[in-house]
Amino acid sequence: MSVFILGLSIALLIGIQQLKTSFKYQMKNNLGDIDLVIGAKGSPLQLVLSSVLHLDNPTGNISYGEAKKIAENPFIKQAIPISYGDNYKGYKIVGTTSDFPTIYNAELEKGRTVKNAMEVVLGHLVAEKLKLKIGDTFLSSHGLVENSIDVHEEELIVVGIYKPTQKVIDRLIITNLESVWDVHDHDHVDEDHEEDTHEHTADSDIHEDHEDHEEDTHEHENHDEKEITSLLVSFRNPTGFLTLPRRINENTNMQAALPKYELDRLYEYTGVGFKTISWIAYIILVISNIIIFISLYKMVRERSFDLALLRTYGANKNQLIKIIAYEGLIIVCIAFVVGLILSKMGLYFLVNNVDVMSNQKILQSITFEDFAQIGALIFIMIAAAILLAIYPITKMNISTILSNEK
Amino acid sequence: MIKTENLTFHYKQKEHTFHFPNVALKPQENLLILGKSGIGKTTLLHLLAGLLKPVSGTIHIDEVDISSLRTRKLDVFRGQNIGLVFQKNHAVRSLSIFENLQARLFFSKKSIHNTAIDELLKELGLIEYKNRKVNALSEGQLQRLGIALSVIHNPKVILADEPTSSLDDENCGIVIELLKKQAKQSNANLIVITHDHRVKSSFSNTITL
Repeated sequence: MSVFILGLSIALLIGIQQLKTSFKYQMKNNLGDIDLVIGAKGSPLQLVLSSVLHLDNPTGNISYGEAKKIAENPFIKQAIPISYGDNYKGYKIVGTTSDFPTIYNAELEKGRTVKNAMEVVLGHLVAEKLKLKIGDTFLSSHGLVENSIDVHEEELIVVGIYKPTQKVIDRLIITNLESVWDVHDHDHVDEDHEEDTHEHTADSDIHEDHEDHEEDTHEHENHDEKEITSLLVSFRNPTGFLTLPRRINENTNMQAALPKYELDRLYEYTGVGFKTISWIAYIILVISNIIIFISLYKMVRERSFDLALLRTYGANKNQLIKIIAYEGLIIVCIAFVVGLILSKMGLYFLVNNVDVMSNQKILQSITFEDFAQIGALIFIMIAAAILLAIYPITKMNISTILSNEK
Repeated sequence: MIKTENLTFHYKQKEHTFHFPNVALKPQENLLILGKSGIGKTTLLHLLAGLLKPVSGTIHIDEVDISSLRTRKLDVFRGQNIGLVFQKNHAVRSLSIFENLQARLFFSKKSIHNTAIDELLKELGLIEYKNRKVNALSEGQLQRLGIALSVIHNPKVILADEPTSSLDDENCGIVIELLKKQAKQSNANLIVITHDHRVKSSFSNTITL
């Protein structure tokens, strides 16, 4: 009983810490060199989530021509356009340039990079989960969620597969910008109206006030101007941070979001949840300590005669204290192992049940310092519980205990 | 060899001071201390065992003044030189007979060969229960285990506190004889305290409190 409760609290503490570490790591890791994301107006957090972490729907589209103009700014080291709106079996198809994989240091495992339209390179996890090989073809479907109704007619062909990176690119299907444009231009011919409504879906739910502006761009799109979803920018030097985002937000119909800042904000929000669970874990830890104290204390009382007997055998107080302390420590060690197993099982279960996460290996092993910190805390509390329980031994009156034997 | 002089003990809660007669035993001499309950028999025994410290007076066991030993040294002295037999609850319940004997030897820091343990268990008729848990022993077997535990480390003094009061006449005689025999074998003094007059005839040397 006490073993299990202590194990549970240890599991919670370790699990929380591990989730926290993984979460932080994921955010940092996926940022790569991206200092700024430029996309359609809307929630900056949404823009970052959709374009950097590929977790949310995009805020809308921006004109490729305008984005190109911004990319010529001298502060900008690299600007990578990305364009998406299609998926294959739930995996996002991202049209981009050959620079995109370099953000994630992704290298080809097999095949070659995209050279022509309608060619794709798969992220490692996509290839693994969908069991696709080089040379395989598939039909993409519109939107970011798997569906079989709205399927495009053009076949995409797999020309390469990336090595695993543990980053977001593992669960993306990479192609060039032309492929995305081609698919949609073609669609426009047959089902122009439907296309239009789709372009809106992501945006209109959330940002009704931008509706007008969206309509404007749509008119352009159909004629001459190409669109992209967002532009991933890295700066040459930090001065870029000061001028560029402001200029874009004020002077254009696009918005610039700083991923680091947005993700820090997101982390703060989720931090509240982590804190709450941590507190619960601490409370359980305290309770389990009290239980350990009570059970040891009871044991000392129940076995006082045995302990007194050992004193008559020549054992001194320290030896008795050691015996009881060992017993306590054994309980704690078992609890620790139970806790570790529980946290591993719990996290495994959790990760496999959350859809977004199941597409990627997200768990990072907990850092040694965190582990040591939790360990030290638990150790101190348990040491206190054991010492309190053992205290009566030092005051034990063997003579009284022995004469009260009946 | 045991010698006590002017022993007194005081219980704070009871506001009562015990004065004990002087005891002087030569090597291998046995003593029966008789007295009603509440007269301080167990107190005297615990003083002799070093479990209590006298308020005044001295106790010498083999020329060592145990009333002046410090706690740690007293623990060691007790473990090596004194064997205690109780009325009940002779051993650690969760251990087997053999484990109890080993614990006894471990804490008295004496090593005795396993064959010697077997020998003693044979003599006391416990050899076939060697690995049985104390919980599963009968009253008579327990009493014999108590005796085994009190002599296994070759003590200088065996102190028995009411060893017979929960036994029937037959077992009472057997236990006293076993105690006397074991004391003789390890050249120890045997002191039995009891209110049980059945054992009176077995001792030539008697003090009544």
